[in-house]
Amino acid sequence: MPPISSPPLGAILAVSGVTKSFGALRAVDNVSFAMAPGEILGIAGPNGSGKSTLFNAITRIPFDMDAGIVVFEGRQVQNLPAHRLAALGLARTFQRETVFPSLSAVDNVIVAIEQTKRGGSLRRNVLLAEQALDIVGFPATLHNWRAAALPVFLRKLVMIAGAIALDPKVLLLDEPASSLTPDEIDRLRALIRQLREMGLAILLIEHVLELLTGVSDRLMVLDQGRVIALGEPAQVVRDPQVVEAYLGVAP
Amino acid sequence: MMSFDTFVAVASGGLALGAIYALMAAGLAAVWTTLGIFNFAHGAFIALGAYIGWQIADAEAAGLGLAAGVVGAFVGLFVIGILFHLALVRPFERRPDIVTACVITTLAGAAICESAINLIWGPRSKQLGQLARGEVDLGVFRLPVSDLVLIAVVGATLGTLGWFLSRTRTGRAMRAVSQNREAAELMGLDVPRLYALAFGLSAAIAGLAGIFVGGLRFMTPTMGTDPLMKALIVVILGGIARFTSPIYAAILVGFVESFSNYYVGLYWTPAVLFAMMIVVLFLKPSGLFGHHQRTL
Ligand SMILES: Nc1ncnc2c1ncn2[C@@H]1O[C@H](COP(=O)(O)OP(=O)(O)OP(=O)(O)O)[C@@H](O)[C@H]1O
Ligand SMILES: [Mg+2]
Repeated sequence: MPPISSPPLGAILAVSGVTKSFGALRAVDNVSFAMAPGEILGIAGPNGSGKSTLFNAITRIPFDMDAGIVVFEGRQVQNLPAHRLAALGLARTFQRETVFPSLSAVDNVIVAIEQTKRGGSLRRNVLLAEQALDIVGFPATLHNWRAAALPVFLRKLVMIAGAIALDPKVLLLDEPASSLTPDEIDRLRALIRQLREMGLAILLIEHVLELLTGVSDRLMVLDQGRVIALGEPAQVVRDPQVVEAYLGVAP
Repeated sequence: MMSFDTFVAVASGGLALGAIYALMAAGLAAVWTTLGIFNFAHGAFIALGAYIGWQIADAEAAGLGLAAGVVGAFVGLFVIGILFHLALVRPFERRPDIVTACVITTLAGAAICESAINLIWGPRSKQLGQLARGEVDLGVFRLPVSDLVLIAVVGATLGTLGWFLSRTRTGRAMRAVSQNREAAELMGLDVPRLYALAFGLSAAIAGLAGIFVGGLRFMTPTMGTDPLMKALIVVILGGIARFTSPIYAAILVGFVESFSNYYVGLYWTPAVLFAMMIVVLFLKPSGLFGHHQRTL
């Protein structure tokens, strides 16, 4: 057994026994972990190891898990509908940049804000939306551009701004760095650190290992739907099982 | 050659027809763009709207007048639409084969609605009153008041719908969810509620259209089939790139139908319409007014 580090005391998010199968394939197999408030927990694993499926199962977007318990702030939430989870403070992004293509950048975020208790008059919502876009470093001159017309990186920022606008306590980021340039990855790293400064706990799936180990407090590795390592990033990347999962050979 | 008076009468009839088709197509498109399914019961909703309207309005029934019938059909079909969605669409929502599943369930729903009409109101055809009587004299030509009222009511309804979609919180959320369901869930929108609402609104608008159809033709349980077909042609012709694109196409179809009825004959009109649709599909597969992107 790999060393499963004990769940931090007073975990903000604790997941236990999450399982999701597609037909005969166990995409996520009995996954358990917990994260402390303000922690960044990285998730690595080869292609198809079940990382995105884990996010999908936890947030119930777009499907439910087969079995498992999700405790958010001490309360079981695995049966709450997706929008209630979002309202409680569990927000996510997708691997592909997922936005409302015909709406402007700022309208994208306004739609999110209108769902929250913070929402109010349209003017106030515009202000809050602009704040969220500022936080993620979206250029102010492009606020009124249709999302469809924006480059990938900016669409990702709009998506992250929409999630942040919900004022979450835990943010699930699914491969935010995929298809970004090294320069953009640097900006993303700064953004992730800034979000942590703001007090968010972040669950971060990433293939760019160097980004992942750079910002994560702890690192979890999935292989074929199972947790094969969880702990200190520097230790985890040297774990023989992890090396084997990534390189396909025993060390 | 047709006389000017005839021309005006045929044109205004065409515009009135077009207005009804616009209502129908807007309702169909609302469900198609948000839920991504085609509702084959939309025609049955028209019939239900007409019969509920008749029940409230007609002197043989409650006798409360046509205005009350309009309101009743709208509200009644809104409720029926939501129940229909909960029972026949929602259970299949997350299945990968939702589109085929809903072809079957909405067809079944249509059959149930039509049988219910038969059971409740009997097969004998009924007729709703005209919205208004008489003609207005515009100096050069005269127009039936009922056509004008119809066009005004449809214009007001579509205008209100447009306002709702662009200016209200719920309307904006509906537009958003029609563009990308997952983005909507990410942004914290209550997608199941918005879907139910879209279905209810779509049915309510069909109910309203039913009142108008019931004023033009005799009411039968299957009276919605022909308008549904026309609305389908409208949606394909116009595309659904914008909320307004089916409206232009609807007016076009109304005109073509009206003039074709006069010149080519009643029985040839569907052929003319389908020919037009096929030509458009050849030349501009995404419809006359834009592309098939799903958005309200
Ligand atoms: N909706 C689905 N239906 C069927 N199989 C699925 C579905 N989603 C994921 N899978 C399968 O489940 C397994 C895990 O997929 P998942 O997307 O979670 O992997 P991942 O770790 O996110 O991979 P990547 O790094 O490529 O994003 C894969 O074998 C995938 O094919
Ligand atoms: Mg993935």
